[in-house]
Amino acid sequence: MSAIEDLVTELSRLPTIGKKSALRLTYHLLKQPPEQSRRLAQVLGTLTERVRLCERCFNLTEEQPCTICKDPRRDAATICVVEEASDIAAVERTGEYRGVYHVLGGRLSPLDGIGPDELTVTALVQRVGAGGIREVIVATNPKLEGEATALYVQEQLSSLGVLVSRIALGMPVGGDLEYADGVTIAQAIASRRQMR
Amino acid sequence: MTQASRVTLSSIAIRDFRNIERAELTIPPDGIALVGDNGQGKTNFLEAIAYLELLRSMRGVRDRDLTRFGATAFHIGCVSAGAAVNRVGIGVERTGKKRIMLDGVDTPRLTDALGALPSVCFSPADIALIAGAPAERRRYLDIALALSSKRYLAALRQYRAALARRNAALREAARPGARHSSVAAWEPALAEHGAVIVEERRGWVAEGATEFTRLCADIGERAKMQIEYESPLAAAADVRAALAEALHKGRDHDARRMITHAGPHRDDLAVTLGTRDLRLVGSAGQQRTAAIALRLLEAATFRTRGGAQPVLLLDDPFAELDRKRASRVLALLEESSATGLGQTILCVPREDEIPAAFTRLERWTVRDGVFARVAS
Ligand SMILES: [Zn+2]
Repeated sequence: MSAIEDLVTELSRLPTIGKKSALRLTYHLLKQPPEQSRRLAQVLGTLTERVRLCERCFNLTEEQPCTICKDPRRDAATICVVEEASDIAAVERTGEYRGVYHVLGGRLSPLDGIGPDELTVTALVQRVGAGGIREVIVATNPKLEGEATALYVQEQLSSLGVLVSRIALGMPVGGDLEYADGVTIAQAIASRRQMR
Repeated sequence: MTQASRVTLSSIAIRDFRNIERAELTIPPDGIALVGDNGQGKTNFLEAIAYLELLRSMRGVRDRDLTRFGATAFHIGCVSAGAAVNRVGIGVERTGKKRIMLDGVDTPRLTDALGALPSVCFSPADIALIAGAPAERRRYLDIALALSSKRYLAALRQYRAALARRNAALREAARPGARHSSVAAWEPALAEHGAVIVEERRGWVAEGATEFTRLCADIGERAKMQIEYESPLAAAADVRAALAEALHKGRDHDARRMITHAGPHRDDLAVTLGTRDLRLVGSAGQQRTAAIALRLLEAATFRTRGGAQPVLLLDDPFAELDRKRASRVLALLEESSATGLGQTILCVPREDEIPAAFTRLERWTVRDGVFARVAS
């Protein structure tokens, strides 16, 4: 395989990048001064070297724990459970949530081989079991798999005596947390309901 | 009750569907009689029309097997009147990509396009409705109800999605090394949507049972034929709670068999003769009568619930009926609606098999997938 083919193959593995776009990007890079490509390679290298999962909440971070977990102004007794690290940015957009997070690393999706063991639920149970947590707000997506994930999380936490609530992000508002605006998410959190 | 509006197909264009390379037919309001030997394309033509309603094969054939040999995609388009939509265009590529245009507007969600051209097909293969496995009758119920109730359609889709996931979770839990199981997490969704399915099926059967018995008697059946909704949940007052409990109780059994046992996916529509199962005791003629009555009931469902008199697709339907019964079925089709007989696409192997009532229909022939109008 040639160097060009190598890069095209790697680029087209990325989401939304097809073979054509990958080829275009490759030719674009070849036309630029070589330093630019070197810088890109370097940044990619440090990215994978430095960015790790937060040991506490599984957010993506360069420090341990992450800046949110470490922030003394945040309410460490309230945990918002999300599917992906990218969902944290969506909740942060509200500018109102002051608690901390827990990233599950996905949602229950048995048809794709994603069961409870593939998620970080056990770590969440341990975190809550260690004490000091008042409320767990489950903010998984309001679709079939997100709802089942929420139920599973609630079931796992049920014996720990912690309040477990579910955000009220209705289906009509539409699907993924990622695409909802800050106001919608703020409302969904404000009108959360206790799961029984 | 508002009067059902009569749906009529005014033209249809088909490309690369089964053995039909290219066909364009203009269809009069009364319909047409299509004559052709078996295997020439009659049923394929009806299947193409039914595709405009179901967005898949009425015979359960996979999309890629519907594309004509050597072609990369098939297309079906129609212009109609009396339905919510007047123009439907469907393109299906061999890769599975499906594109649907309603009145010229791209409709990415299949559920929004379901039932665009209401039709009911009567065929000798319908005997499977009575003689076949329960899955045949569930499919019948699902089509009749999903096309006439948005609530049912939504519940059915959610239910199937949840069922597939619970079954996958059961298989996953059986794998060595699996520590936690999500089986229970899918049950509330199954109970919620399954309850809607059960309630709607129960209501539909209760509504149509008397009519079914009358239809069978009118066709000429002397013994009393009945339909009954057969489900362990049929009598439950709170179906959702009952299903949730059945799922909970069945978890161990389900885990051993790696499949979900409780729920409407195991229902049946029992058809009885007197007090006995028609499947076991009925003659071929009695089974055919019951199958036709079910199709008549399906057409009635579209009229009363959907407000549309569907296009009638008759695939050599009287082939196995004696003349007396055949003429009664025709009379029933005709009297069934204030708007008279629905537009009829009649398919027969030979001209002399066109019933008297349909000799006035414009005549077409089909041979090797090629259609030709017969000069009158
Ligand atoms: Zn953290």
